[in-house]
Amino acid sequence: MSAAQIGSPDVARRGSETWRRLLADRWAAIGAVVVVLLVLFAVLAPVLAGIEGQDAYTYHLDALADSGAPLGSGGGMSGRHWFGVEPRTGRDLFAIVAFGARTSLLIGVGATAVAVLLGVAVGVTAGYFGGWYDRLISRGVDVLFGFPSLIFMIAVGAIVPARFPRSSLILLVIGFFGWPPVARVVRGQTLVLRRRTFVVASEAMGAGSVHVLVRQLLPNLGATVIVYATMLVPGMIGAEAALSFLGVGVPPPTPSWGRTIGSAIDWVSTDVMFLLFPGLALFAATLSFNLLGDGLRDALDPRLRGLR
Amino acid sequence: MRRHGAAGAVAVTAALALALTACNANPSSTASPGPTTAVTKGGTLTILTAQTNIDLDPAKSQNLATTTLGLVLRRLTTWDIQPGQPAKVVPDLATTTGTSSADGKTWTFQLKDGLKYADGTPITAADIKYGVERSFAPELSGGLGYHKTLLVGGDTYKGPYTGGDLTSIEVPDARTIVFHLTKSYGDWPWIVSMPAFTPVPKAKDDPQKYGKNPVASGPYQVDVNQQGSLLRLKRNPYWDAKTDPERTGGPDQVVFQLGQDTTVQAQRLIADSGADKNAFGAGFVPPSQLVQIQQNPTAKSRLVTSDAGALEFLAMNVTRPGLSDLRVRQAIEYAVDKKSVQVAAGGVIGGDPATTLITPGIAGRADYDLYPAGPDGDPAKAKQLLAQAGHASDLKLTLLVQDDQLNVGYGEAVQQGLKRVGIEVTLKPEEYDAWTADVTNDKGDYDLAISGWQPDFPSANGNIEPLFASSEIGGGGFNLSRYSQPQADGLIQQATGETDPAKAQALWAQADKRIMQDAPVVPLLYTKNSFLHGSGVQNFFVASFPAYPNYLKVSLAK
Repeated sequence: MSAAQIGSPDVARRGSETWRRLLADRWAAIGAVVVVLLVLFAVLAPVLAGIEGQDAYTYHLDALADSGAPLGSGGGMSGRHWFGVEPRTGRDLFAIVAFGARTSLLIGVGATAVAVLLGVAVGVTAGYFGGWYDRLISRGVDVLFGFPSLIFMIAVGAIVPARFPRSSLILLVIGFFGWPPVARVVRGQTLVLRRRTFVVASEAMGAGSVHVLVRQLLPNLGATVIVYATMLVPGMIGAEAALSFLGVGVPPPTPSWGRTIGSAIDWVSTDVMFLLFPGLALFAATLSFNLLGDGLRDALDPRLRGLR
Repeated sequence: MRRHGAAGAVAVTAALALALTACNANPSSTASPGPTTAVTKGGTLTILTAQTNIDLDPAKSQNLATTTLGLVLRRLTTWDIQPGQPAKVVPDLATTTGTSSADGKTWTFQLKDGLKYADGTPITAADIKYGVERSFAPELSGGLGYHKTLLVGGDTYKGPYTGGDLTSIEVPDARTIVFHLTKSYGDWPWIVSMPAFTPVPKAKDDPQKYGKNPVASGPYQVDVNQQGSLLRLKRNPYWDAKTDPERTGGPDQVVFQLGQDTTVQAQRLIADSGADKNAFGAGFVPPSQLVQIQQNPTAKSRLVTSDAGALEFLAMNVTRPGLSDLRVRQAIEYAVDKKSVQVAAGGVIGGDPATTLITPGIAGRADYDLYPAGPDGDPAKAKQLLAQAGHASDLKLTLLVQDDQLNVGYGEAVQQGLKRVGIEVTLKPEEYDAWTADVTNDKGDYDLAISGWQPDFPSANGNIEPLFASSEIGGGGFNLSRYSQPQADGLIQQATGETDPAKAQALWAQADKRIMQDAPVVPLLYTKNSFLHGSGVQNFFVASFPAYPNYLKVSLAK
């Protein structure tokens, strides 16, 4: 996406055009629907769990056999516990998955916001000002690309005291390692835009660099940023799940798909449902955001479609 | 410390001698008896362990007498472990379990005749003295250190590399060794069964490398020792079975496969295919696999579970605001949901609810419950106590747990129990080494901690002193509650010095109750350990103490 971008005056008309193209793409439309459903699922988690009459924290030892395994078939699935219960605690799996969606989406979207803010701020200034500042930033981005970020995140998690809110820490750390690709793309885009006539004209009329960055460049980077942000979300959700899977993510008992999957691995031979539900939820979340992101990219830049 | 099959690694400062560790307490005397059959010689026994490195240096080891190190290294005494019978201390290199002077402060041992190392040279009393001396060296810290403050001069001695020799150990001739203690100590025969009382020839010592391939005195010697992959033992041609009734030396080779997660161990042993038929797992079978094994008759027949033994407990740091109030601690005694903790351990096969500090199977234990609350606690009573203390809803506590499945499960069960009475608990799961460092350092920056405790020898002493003596606070000591009470210290001192076992036991029972009146810990469970072995493994049993298999007697079917 680059030379194809249209100048500021067309933004409104292009919006509806994008929607039309997006909805015409069947996979993107499915992705969008699933994303909307997941967001509703997360937002309505307390309501849904309330309808079921359960929460994600209460132990139900009466739903377990003496060994800690759920009673009944399908991991204890019943009218009381729609997805069954968690082995060893008897906590309601449906509530855990629903509240886990909140954790995953909040951290996924929050970390993406952090990454996009940092990435756009760094990328647009590097592209616009150029010179030594640009060279410094670009090398910095290269370093971050090669950085063993997962190991760093695990180490940070071990060092920071328990008093620091864990979810915010995870969000910030994951977000911090997400900005380099955004910065790189935004910088490239900015390099192109700054030579466009409307930018040159604005500068010629005496506009300051803040005005050019905020008024001229940023609106035209919007589409790129939206596409990138959408494609970043599944990666962020995956990163949170990975950290929780490894036991260094959000602390128990805060529900998290990654942690539940981590404990479910040990139970796979005796209680498949325990792995299946959180696993499906994670799969649906990452796949749907990816489909939506792909669709958005095609819709915003139809000329790419034929090239794929 | 719970993982013990092999050398643990807790740094213990010499000053606090009773350091700890590991392993297990004594289950009641009706242990699950495994079938014992005549020993068949030959074959390759495989032991699956989660450890990634086995350091065989006796000075650094916290091994039980009957696990890994016992295959390679003999000590002055060792343990006679039989299915269904209480543990006995028996002579190993020595001819007897020691003779003491009238005041109980001087112990003399004679070595058996004709003992030889794997290189054919004779084992001498001077080598045992040297082995003990090197356990004092700071560069070889981490081993069991009960002897370090008991030997005269041990509190200041820094090992043979810088400190010369330790005069309180005398070797009048090549077969006699004499120990001079600072006080009368009736359990000394148990102390000399610990790894530090292994002979080490001075000429072969290199503190950096000795643990890789120590000079063997037991039935096996190191063949290959590859960190992270495997440790293979082969026969020691100079080991004489006639001098060693406790080791049967069945298999021709013993191979430790390292880095095998407990889940992987269980899955391989459930499958029981190929070489895994001649294998057993050194780790406890995790609760999730216990469920699977109980549904599988052939695997179930190969599962061996110990009696209830080691104590799993919740330590309350009495130096912290809130927890310094006795009523708050009592409230927590009532609030904890022991039933959930038990289910987290895998149910009845994982352990029994605990109320006392001295564990079942230890002589002199008195059963009592100072905080009777029913199986899942008494939240109403707890709330009442909290209200009296003025902490009805403002308590926020940090709980340090080890980050494995089992411990996090205990942590969550405790957390939800306390939530019922308005105490908000934040879990902080930490990797084992980090956890150990954080709970045993001088700062004590935590409110609660969950830990397991198994005495290193079967005496109430091992249940009480390492956990509650004020000398064990910080500096590597295991007094996780940071509990310091002159009256309790007095009782501990009195009981340790008592040479009459019956009187000592009464004093220990008194100390047990006295300490629980101050509620520094919540006894959660007397845990049971389950182990799985392959179908070709024979003579595999877990006796009443310790709750670990006796490696020395395992053999393979033809």
